Amino acid sequence: MRLDRPSGVALPAAGAAALVAGSLSPWATFAGFPGKMSLGGFPGGARLFCLLLVAGSALFVVDTGGRRRAALAAALGAVAVVGLNLVALVDQGGGLGGPAWGAWLSLAGAGLLAAGAWRLPAGRAAAPDDWPARPASVEVAAVAVGLLALLGAVVWGLAINESSRFVSFLVFVGFTCAALHHLGLFTWLTVLFARRQRMAVALGGAAAVAFPFTQQGNAYWIRVFASIGVFAVAAIGLNVVVGLAGLLDLGYVAFFGVGAYVGALLANASLTTVHVHVPFLAVVLLGGCVAAVFGLVIGAPTLRLRGDYLAIVTLGFGEIFRITANNWDGLTRGPNGISGVPDLAAGGFNFGAAHSLFGVTLPGFANYYFVELALIAAAIVVFTRLNDSRIGRAWVAIREDEVAAAASGIDTIRLKLLAFAIGAFMAGCAGTVNAHLTTQVSPDSYTFLESILLVAAVVLGGMGTVPGALLGSTALFVLPEKLRSFQDKRLLLFGAALVLLMRFRPEGLVPSRRRRREFRDDAPAPAP
Amino acid sequence: MLGATYGLIALGYTMVYGIIQLINFAHGEIFMVGAFGGLTAYRYWLPGSLAGNVWVALPFVLLVAIGVAVAVAVLVERLAYRPLRNAPRLAPLITAIGVSIFLQEMVRLFYPGGKRQQPFPQLISSGTFAVGGVTVAWVSVFVVVVAVALMVGLQVFVKTTRTGKAMRATSQDPESARLMGIDIDRVIVVTFVLGAALAAVAGVMQGMRFAQIDFRIGFLAGLKAFTAAVLGGIGNLTGAVLGGFLLGIVEALATQYVPHGSSWKDVWAFVMLIGVLVVRPGGLLGERVATRA
Repeated sequence: MRLDRPSGVALPAAGAAALVAGSLSPWATFAGFPGKMSLGGFPGGARLFCLLLVAGSALFVVDTGGRRRAALAAALGAVAVVGLNLVALVDQGGGLGGPAWGAWLSLAGAGLLAAGAWRLPAGRAAAPDDWPARPASVEVAAVAVGLLALLGAVVWGLAINESSRFVSFLVFVGFTCAALHHLGLFTWLTVLFARRQRMAVALGGAAAVAFPFTQQGNAYWIRVFASIGVFAVAAIGLNVVVGLAGLLDLGYVAFFGVGAYVGALLANASLTTVHVHVPFLAVVLLGGCVAAVFGLVIGAPTLRLRGDYLAIVTLGFGEIFRITANNWDGLTRGPNGISGVPDLAAGGFNFGAAHSLFGVTLPGFANYYFVELALIAAAIVVFTRLNDSRIGRAWVAIREDEVAAAASGIDTIRLKLLAFAIGAFMAGCAGTVNAHLTTQVSPDSYTFLESILLVAAVVLGGMGTVPGALLGSTALFVLPEKLRSFQDKRLLLFGAALVLLMRFRPEGLVPSRRRRREFRDDAPAPAP
Repeated sequence: MLGATYGLIALGYTMVYGIIQLINFAHGEIFMVGAFGGLTAYRYWLPGSLAGNVWVALPFVLLVAIGVAVAVAVLVERLAYRPLRNAPRLAPLITAIGVSIFLQEMVRLFYPGGKRQQPFPQLISSGTFAVGGVTVAWVSVFVVVVAVALMVGLQVFVKTTRTGKAMRATSQDPESARLMGIDIDRVIVVTFVLGAALAAVAGVMQGMRFAQIDFRIGFLAGLKAFTAAVLGGIGNLTGAVLGGFLLGIVEALATQYVPHGSSWKDVWAFVMLIGVLVVRPGGLLGERVATRA
């Protein structure tokens, strides 16, 4: 037997067989580990992810662009899932007796797969030709399937309650996406989405509307997503300021707070200082306008400053807002805040109560969720129209080089003020809804950390893009909810993540093409 | 005395900003880490028999505080900032915020009892003496004397030594400085080291003044020190010191004489900052600089 020769398909085949067998065998020697790990014969818990990742081994026989990296990603994903679960099993099972033989077998199988993938010839990278243009019907179907997969992944992920299994799920999704990325799927989908933009947007909207119906009357996640909706509107607004105009605002949450206080004060809450009730639609606009006026007042003296000064001054204003709200007992009731904000009601329709639609009971939060969706839709329209307009191009020019922009005849101060006011307006609108959603408003909801979270959402998702802002705010909200057992170390991980993100992917998860080019020399040039 | 602390921290901001145009958001945390380093030295490493002796305990605590802060600052520079040296400006600023949160949480989670306020030892007797009807605490005298000595020392260092000259050259024009054979990376590290050392001393002084520290002290102190740096004209060492003292005095007076002043205590710094930036964007001692593209 010669060991120095690459064993071709034999090695990965053995690995795949071992991984399948391992995934169908018990992983734990003790009962109680999520996914009935002590029982064999079915792939419960994280074992399912391993079984799905085995599909990557098909790449050993199919020759396609980028297959070595894709196969490697799938195999390493399996290694990571098994490895993480082994650590958890050892931890909870009291030492090396915790994991059962199935786990070790899976680890060996995944390791063999990874070794096999390592030995694959480097081959060529995925090219657009691997995914040739198809008939229109196929393209439309592909867009639909892509969005369905996204909705499916979200629903699946939300249904997982145990932290350890959710981490496995995240690892699985991450490595699967990496594998598909190396195969060029995402590049292809991006092109398709761009070509079929209207349909993609319509389907995306439909998926978002469909979400509450998948929850079978369970309010919890609808509530979380309603909160995300509020956050997302604010993130889109901040994206105008930071992403388009390049003004780093570290006190942005103050505008959100102004909106929330306006919303709470004008809704005749049970514990308040002003006893008036104004129709909600007027309040939303009013909250936005008041916030925008604040934006102008703050912006007028400070927008003459260079970028980093602006960051600190806005931070200062954010703190001033919080301290003022904390001390102005006559209006804001100080640290107690305003509580007992009633649910929205319009023409006999109570937004707080559960309603039944198409035979599915929708909890009260679903109504807020739909309000949020409408608000997000409006924000997206404003954002994209602005981005494509003369104003948007002027902002980009200011962001890239303010001196040159001014020299080209752009009224920089006025345009920067405009960006500030529009961003503040959106945050104010979101704030009014949030006052009703959380039923109370108090100063400690508007700390510096909240501003940082918003900035992080924008930066994480990708500056200057709408999907980026949506994705970023979703990720920053859902992850802490899911990783409850790490609650204490949440901020620590957050700080580290910010540093690592800036180091390795400063353009964010969904970068705008222009930004990506700014950070990476090898990125393809944006279309003219 | 408050002013002296702000001034010392502000020097770190000003030096780093002068050289790499970065608002080192994590500098307040370096100050906090320094204070905790000093506390560790006193509580765990100092033999009990020596703890009462000011002449041993104080220098030891200060040295350890400086050592810890410098080590952390150098690590941060090396791991977080240096890879982003040529990135767009937003990137290092966000990194700095991340580092700041990270350091706070490290102390909160992993320092024994870090989640609560920690009592800080009173290394100098809490006695006071009276000069013409004004009561002065010895601690205050110590704080001011040390701060002024360090500030003068820094001035001398920057003005007379070779390294100081290299620092000034780099802050004027990094490219030309590099062409003249100055090791920019080394200059930047030296800048971070000096800033961290001063911040650590400020941290110990803060601990002695207020008799307690917690993981949050860095945020506000850092913010105010930054204000002080801007107040005096950022990049200007004398300005930072002046700004620090000015800010400390204004804050003390406002707390004392404005009605309900104490609940608005933290606002004055920002009000002053905004005021100065609107009226005189370069700061009190700042020269007008041409806008760098």
